[in-house]
Order: sequence, then C-alpha cells, then structure tokens
Amino acid sequence: MEILKEVFRSLYANKLRTFLSMLGIVIGVAAVIMVMSLGAGMKKGVTERLTSLGSNVIMVSPGFVGGRGGTVAQAVETLKESDVKAILDMCPSVSKAVGLLSGSYLVQYKNSNTRISVYAAPNEIFQILNLKVSRGRTFSEDDKSKNVLIIGREAAYNLFKNEDPLGKRVYIVQGSRKIPFEVIGIFERTGSILMFNPDRMILIPYETGKYRVFQSRGGISMIIAMTSSPELSPNAVMEIDHLLYTKFHGQESYYNVVSQQAILNVVTESVNIINLVLVAIAAVSLVVGGIGIMNIMLVSVVERTREIGIKMALGASRARILVEFLVESITITFVAGAIGVLLGVLGSETAVNTFGKTYGLVAVIEPTSVLIAFGVSACIGLFFGFYPAYRASRLSPIEALRYE
Amino acid sequence: MTPRKVMELVDVWKIYDMGEVKVEALRGISFEVYEGEYVFVVGPSGSGKSTLLHILGCLDRPTKGKVFIEGEDVSKMSDRKLAKVRNRKVGFVFQTYNLLPRLNALENVELPMIYAGVPARERRKKAKELLELVGLGDRLYHRPNQLSGGQQQRVGIARALANDPSFILADEPTGNLDTKSGEEVMAIFKKLHEMGKTLIVVTHNPELLKDGTRIVKLRDGVIEDMEIRGVVYGNT
Ligand SMILES: Nc1ncnc2c1ncn2[C@@H]1O[C@H](COP(=O)(O)OP(=O)(O)O)[C@@H](O)[C@H]1O
Ligand SMILES: [Mg+2]
Repeated sequence: MEILKEVFRSLYANKLRTFLSMLGIVIGVAAVIMVMSLGAGMKKGVTERLTSLGSNVIMVSPGFVGGRGGTVAQAVETLKESDVKAILDMCPSVSKAVGLLSGSYLVQYKNSNTRISVYAAPNEIFQILNLKVSRGRTFSEDDKSKNVLIIGREAAYNLFKNEDPLGKRVYIVQGSRKIPFEVIGIFERTGSILMFNPDRMILIPYETGKYRVFQSRGGISMIIAMTSSPELSPNAVMEIDHLLYTKFHGQESYYNVVSQQAILNVVTESVNIINLVLVAIAAVSLVVGGIGIMNIMLVSVVERTREIGIKMALGASRARILVEFLVESITITFVAGAIGVLLGVLGSETAVNTFGKTYGLVAVIEPTSVLIAFGVSACIGLFFGFYPAYRASRLSPIEALRYE
Repeated sequence: MTPRKVMELVDVWKIYDMGEVKVEALRGISFEVYEGEYVFVVGPSGSGKSTLLHILGCLDRPTKGKVFIEGEDVSKMSDRKLAKVRNRKVGFVFQTYNLLPRLNALENVELPMIYAGVPARERRKKAKELLELVGLGDRLYHRPNQLSGGQQQRVGIARALANDPSFILADEPTGNLDTKSGEEVMAIFKKLHEMGKTLIVVTHNPELLKDGTRIVKLRDGVIEDMEIRGVVYGNT
C-alpha cells in the first residue's frame, strides 16, 4: 500500500514524463484492441453470412479436362441427370439433391440488353438454398414448364432501372431466337452461396430451361445437394466423391465436390491468419512502447540515485527498492493499458460508425482480448521494468548517497 | 549495574583501491561505545571521520577488522541483514539532511518505520511525538523545501530516532547550519543524551566537547588520542 502511494507520488511529480512514457503502450494497446475487435467483427460477419447461407450445402460441378500439350483446358459436360439420382440413392448423408442448368444470356427488356446468369432448377432449390422472394411469388406446380422467371435485385436494377419488374415481359436471347418470359417474383437480398449469387441471377423452372433455353439432352451444369445437418457435410462430400471417382474411373479432374462448410473453413482460416498478422504488427508497437518504458525507467533510476541511497540508509532492503521500481513501471504500463483499451474500444466504434455502413464492418470486443491487453501491458511493465529496477537495487548505499 | 556495550570496533581498516593508488582511510581503529554515551569524533579534514561513521552505520563495509553492533559482527553480514540493522539499530543524521523532497516532515519520519513494518496508526503517532520532541509539532505537514535548514535537520534527527535505534550517528550535523540553528540542533542532542540515548557525533566545534563522555581524535586514519570523561564503564 505504502509502495503504491509512493509510486503515484513520484509518477505525479513527473507528470509529463509519465505521460510520454505511457504513450507508446497506449498506442500499442489501442492498436491491438482495434485490430482484434475489428478482426473478430470481420470474422463474425463473414462466418455469419456464410453460415446463414446454409452450411449444409454441397455443390458438385464438372471439372476441367485437357490442358495437356498446349491445348486449352475446357469445362466438360460430364454430369448427367442420372447422377443426381445416383447421389440420392447411394449417398446416405445426402438428404436432397437437384441438378441445375446454367448459362449466361443476354436478357432484353424494351431496348435494353443485359447479360445475366440464368439458372434452371427444380422447385426444391428454394428449400436447399433457403431462397425467398421479397415480392411476387415463387414457382407453383403449374409453372413447371411455363415461361416465368424470378430475378435478383441487382439483376433487376440493371435491366429495369427504376421500373417495377413484376409482371413485365422480357426476352432471353438464345442465338437468333428470343424467348419471352414473364417476371413473377423478386429474390430477397442475400449474399452469394458457393458460386452463385441470387442477387445477380435469374431463375426459371427446370423443364422450361431444359427444353426451351438450354436444350439439354440430360446433361446438367451442376448438382446441388444438402445434408440434414451441417455435421454430416464432410461425410456427404466423401460419399459423393467416392461415387463419382468410381463413375469416372479415377479421373479426379472430371468433377469437383465442394461444400459450403469447406469454403467456410477456408475463409475462416484465412481471416484468422490475416487477424494474426495484423495483431502481430500491432504488437510490435507494444514492444517499442516497452523499450520506451525501460529507457525512461533507466533515466529515472540514475536521477533518483541519491533518493535510493537515502532509502537504503534508512533500512530499505534491495528487494524493497526493486519492488518499488517494478511497481512503478507496472503501474505506468497498466494505466497506459487501461487508456489504450479505452481508446481502442472508442477507435473501433468510431471506425464502425464511419465505415461500417459502407463495408459492412462490425466490431466485436471480446472480454478476453481486453483482459489480455491488460495482462500483456502489465507484463511489459514487469519485463522492461525489471532491468532498471534491478540496477537500482544493486546500488551501493554509500555510493548512492554520495551521488550528486 | 554495568551498561551494555552497544558497539565495538576491532582493528578496523578501510582501504580505497583507486587502481594506481590505494588510500588508507582507516588504519586499525579499535574502540567501544557503551549505552548512554555521548561520543564526539574529531580530527582534521580527511582524517577518516566520515569513513568511520559510514562503517558504524553499516553503509559501508570495512576492508579488514570486525564491527560489532550489540554483540553481533556486522562486517560479514548479508546485504539483507545489514539493511535490517541499518533500519533498527542505527539512526543516521546527515550533514546535508537527506530528507526525501516529495514527502512532508511527518512522512519523512515515518519512512524507517514503514521499512520496519510498523502499523500505520502507530507509526503516525510515533512520528508526531518525535517531531514534537525536536520542536516541530507545528510543522508536521511541511515539505523539506518549506523548512529552514535547522528545521530540516531536526526532522532528520526525529527520523533517526524513529525505530529507537541502539545509537545515533551524526556526521557534522551542524556543518551546513548558521550558528543559531547549529546551537539549537546541538541542544537537541544534549537533551537526547540526557534522555539516555547513545550518540556518536562528528564535529569541528571544540566548544561542544565539554558535554561528551568520550572524545575520539582521529588523524590520518588512526586514533591519535581518546579522552574519556566522567564514568565510562568497562574501560580502564
Ligand atoms: N569513496 C572514496 N574513494 C576514495 N577515497 C576516499 C573515498 N572516501 C573517502 N576517501 C578518502 O579517505 C580519506 C578519509 O576521508 P573521510 O572519511 O571523508 O574524511 P573526513 O570525513 O574526516 O574528512 C580521505 O583521504 C579521502 O580522500
Ligand atoms: Mg567528512
């Protein structure tokens, strides 16, 4: 207690110096807290978005074949409608699976032409991808082979600008033919899932697409499968992989199986690495701050040599002198840490308030990161304060007293 | 009743090794001090008076010889134990006062008691009493720079008394004071002697010597002469 009182007194006596010596730690801690909270916020945002889009979804797409001997690699139509049935029959972890047709087409409304990704899928796709319409309606049984479509918001804006798309007639341009379609719904805004983004696409009923637009003879562009729970996702990937491996006689490049879960893992991992690197960079400033503290404490020891001598003459042990100086440096870094945490929290709030809207930034301030910041700053005080304190405690009383 | 021997020096040498030259500041000093004595150490400048007091005050170690404080040899003691001896057994009064500038009079006097682990309340009470004893009852909360030299030295004396040491050491306590303040300080020492405290004081003022029980005259690091007055026990 007495030591603390004494320490505050001497820190107060050197207000400016105390403040300056704190600065490095304050900035370091604030930087670490900001990076950590924004990083955690970024991670949370990304994972939430990816998870909300169904972490139990798996996509099977054709692989790229060729590329040997100078030929250009090209996607091959290797998947067939029969593969969907095989997956449903042979892969116990898969609960639903649908085949999709897709392509990029010019879509015409009045005089405007826009290139939009067009997908043809059975109605189950709505459940699998959790797709919803914000206006209009989804496909009914009657729509099965009608020329109707649902459009994403961005695609709708590009095509219709400010006009209301509902009920409008548009044309999908297929070579020299123009196939008329009626807009019956608009997708609710989501984000992209696996490869596709409902905001930027057009969805048409499978039969309509197969016979009128894509004119497929049983080949499909991809298969979307679903497991009943996200935990089954790795199993399902293995089962599908095994099935197709056998079908294609070990030609792994003929197909691709990827789960949303796997993408999530990769993304999370990269976000983690980015965060770690940023925190490490911010931590360097903490070390620099610590060296600053050490510097100040060394100066302070020299300046107070006589005071140390007096204290020793009055019976202060070496341990006592050591502790006094250590408490002093720890107090500096601890207070600096507290200020740093405060500034870091305020800083990340400000960043979120300023840029949050534009970039979808959130800040997640975890109690552990605050605790760590406090702990680390106290440790820095201990670590960088030790040498100066040790120097002080090793002074000879008589020489310290003689010091002018 | 034979009074206690509070300290004893046996053939104490202090040699400062300055590389090329060796300075023999003390060359075989032996004497003893009994409880209640008022000892004066005199001698020309450079004769080794301060060196002697530093060794007695456990601020420095002798190069050779033994130093007993209350029967215990401190010349080979560990630093930790030595700090304790400085704290409990010795009260040091400096020529330059050596008060801590950030602390007020009361806190300065409390400092040795903090190191001794005396509880706060008791400490405060004792510090007040001591400051009253040296006539500073009305200056408890003054900082050193708000006190005159004489007053600062009286705080120094109160501080030296804080842990009821075995003896008080004072190295030219009036050296930095004007005549009047010096007399006031010496009056306090006389009073302490009358209260039964043991005092060892370095002085240049021959007028003071009349109050002493023992006068140690140093020259070139040896005791040139030792004058014993009044009843000094154990010596012949
Ligand atoms: N730290 C030291 N290093 C070297 N020589 C010293 C040191 N302290 C004192 N001396 C020498 O020892 C001798 C005695 O000094 P001191 O005890 O201070 O004398 P006094 O107090 O009687 O004037 C002097 O010659 C002085 O120069
Ligand atoms: Mg001297």
